[in-house]
Amino acid sequence: MNDDTPRTFDEVDWEQHSDRGGVSVSRRLRMLIIGGTPIALLWLYDRLAVGQRERIFVSLGEDLGLSGLFSTLGIDFDPSSLDLLFVFTMLLFGAYVLVPLSQNPRMTRYYWREFTRNRPAVVSLGWLGVVFVGGVVGPFVIAMPEQNLLAAYQPPVFGSVDMAYVNNCLGGIENGRCHGTWAHPLGTDRGGKDVFAAVVHGMTVTMQITFITTTLVALIGITVGTVSAYAGGWVDELLMRFVDIVLSFPTLLFFLLILYIYGAGLGMFILVFSLFGWGATARYVRSKALAVSEAAFIDSARLSGASTYYIVRRHVVPNTASSIITQLTLIVPGFLLAEAQLAFLGIGDTAVPTWGELISSGRTAIDFAPWIVLVPGFALFLTILAFNFVGDALLDAINPESDAEVDR
Amino acid sequence: MGVGRYIVARMAWAAMVSLIIVTITFLLLAFAPNPSVSEAATQAALQGGDPAAAAERERALRGLDQPLYVRYADFLRGVYTFEWGWSQNRAQPVTAALKEGIYYTAQYSIPWTVLTLLIGPLVGVYSAANMYSWRDHIATGVAFFGWAIPNFFFGIVLLVIFGVHLEWVPISYDPTVPVVSVANAFQLLLPVVVLVTGSIGAIMRVSRNESAEFQNAAFMKTARAKGVSPLRAYAYHVMRPTMVPLSTTLVSQLLVIFLGSSLLIEIVFGIPGLGRVTFDALINQDTNLVLGATLLFTFIAVIGNLIEDIVFTILDPRISYDDR
Repeated sequence: MNDDTPRTFDEVDWEQHSDRGGVSVSRRLRMLIIGGTPIALLWLYDRLAVGQRERIFVSLGEDLGLSGLFSTLGIDFDPSSLDLLFVFTMLLFGAYVLVPLSQNPRMTRYYWREFTRNRPAVVSLGWLGVVFVGGVVGPFVIAMPEQNLLAAYQPPVFGSVDMAYVNNCLGGIENGRCHGTWAHPLGTDRGGKDVFAAVVHGMTVTMQITFITTTLVALIGITVGTVSAYAGGWVDELLMRFVDIVLSFPTLLFFLLILYIYGAGLGMFILVFSLFGWGATARYVRSKALAVSEAAFIDSARLSGASTYYIVRRHVVPNTASSIITQLTLIVPGFLLAEAQLAFLGIGDTAVPTWGELISSGRTAIDFAPWIVLVPGFALFLTILAFNFVGDALLDAINPESDAEVDR
Repeated sequence: MGVGRYIVARMAWAAMVSLIIVTITFLLLAFAPNPSVSEAATQAALQGGDPAAAAERERALRGLDQPLYVRYADFLRGVYTFEWGWSQNRAQPVTAALKEGIYYTAQYSIPWTVLTLLIGPLVGVYSAANMYSWRDHIATGVAFFGWAIPNFFFGIVLLVIFGVHLEWVPISYDPTVPVVSVANAFQLLLPVVVLVTGSIGAIMRVSRNESAEFQNAAFMKTARAKGVSPLRAYAYHVMRPTMVPLSTTLVSQLLVIFLGSSLLIEIVFGIPGLGRVTFDALINQDTNLVLGATLLFTFIAVIGNLIEDIVFTILDPRISYDDR
């Protein structure tokens, strides 16, 4: 709402309001097209014109004749398809969550007030914010952790470790104990990789999993759920039985099988877990959509001549959206945990540094170098905890009828 | 439709689901390059033979030259008659290898499942009865902690504290000790603790929130007015209706923990159970054993879901079978 909204009913300029819905939809669409096109073009360019070992932006700079400019600005990134998808899902998040919130400041303020009543949730949101910013900005600021055997097992800044375990101490040595330095604020692992840098790069993976799986799960879950609720009859029956299968599928094992047969990276992980993770969401959306479609305003919309698609798009989905968002925040931890488990087993994607991999690499040295396991372990623990708290608080804030539940 | 017919229909559906999953597994395997075929081709090429002919021979030997539907029928027959093939790596039949794994997995799985089922609902109802007291807050804190801490991470930390530093429990698992013995109880203590804390959180939360609604229900007031003891009131009037919604989350929760975490726990604690067998098979490219383990876990999941649905309908007499 604008601040210059007319005070009384008869002053309202109905001409201006009648096409309002259309304008906001197209604005959102425009935002998606403007943001999405360069991403799609970059992806195509990567596929068609850039060689295996070339870096996308370096080669782009050469093709555009801007090599000099690019190198002075330090633009030599090489985003993978997953990175591009990640950027696109952030765009979607902006268009479908942030834009509606900013267009409706009164409700946003109300939600925020309700949300802040739950103090752990505010702290959790802060932590998720740190992980998000660290994950998005971190890789540009902090270089990928590299092997450096001369700097193995360095302790964190205020910690110390017996010299028996360290070949080459970078910090001060007192009483036969090596002390940490600010060069490696959280210490280093067996290969001399900086733990802090690895944790920050792990944040990127965490956020990629969060955003991409959430988008895919929401997309499939909402589609199947609403179609099922609205089509009814045998379509409903068929889709729900399909959901049964998806739900009883042991996803982790299935992924192991795919990994075994074809080999798989992080992209495959995200794909498989999203494709088998939407079952609960679809059921949930279906029951919500069935409940909403009984409401009187749906009848009045239909009487005014709205098509089913319009009703689903403009009334049913927005009215179930709040519960969907909550539900999604509660299933994301499962994905993060699964990824960490695979990485811990040593069968995750070795091309990306993840928290699980770091935990597993520090296992053998845990009795003298516990920071290698503890730092990423607590980062993972706090992230999962934060998602649960935020999900709980969102449930209370958005849906005043319900009490906090952790089950779904 | 009566209970009997519902159960029959539900079991038929479970069989259907297992068939579909088996089919998907078959298709995955059928369209994947077979490691033994490519190995045979490589061998032939190294020895100066014709790799294409060698690959063809290997295919014929393994029956891969037959049409897809014949192989599919063979595969199905093998799966449902429990002829799951020979484990190359362990030099024993797949079913025997899995049986050995189950023997060790059951030793810690049964205790943690029983403990979770006993403690979870009890603590949940107790904390609903004392809602917002310090006891409730502690229980909630424990629930969130257990729910959020990655099991394998928790296991490692506990092992270092109690195994390495305090030396209260042995660090390495000894598979030779008798099942019922103090030594076995000690070495399985940590895995059980880790799995119970991991699984109990969700169950405590659900039973707390669900039973909160029955605390002040009219039937509870009636029971109290009639002088029913609190214990009996909670056991009969709160616990029973709470079990209905709880049963829907219970089985799936336990299954998630069982399928996902038991593998990790066994690796952390070095237990040669089912998860370990699966993992080793995966690492050693033992196709038959990988397949067998996948099928076993799948069947456990399907049967678990079946039990969940049947228990749900039996517990709640209000459910009409036509809707389900």
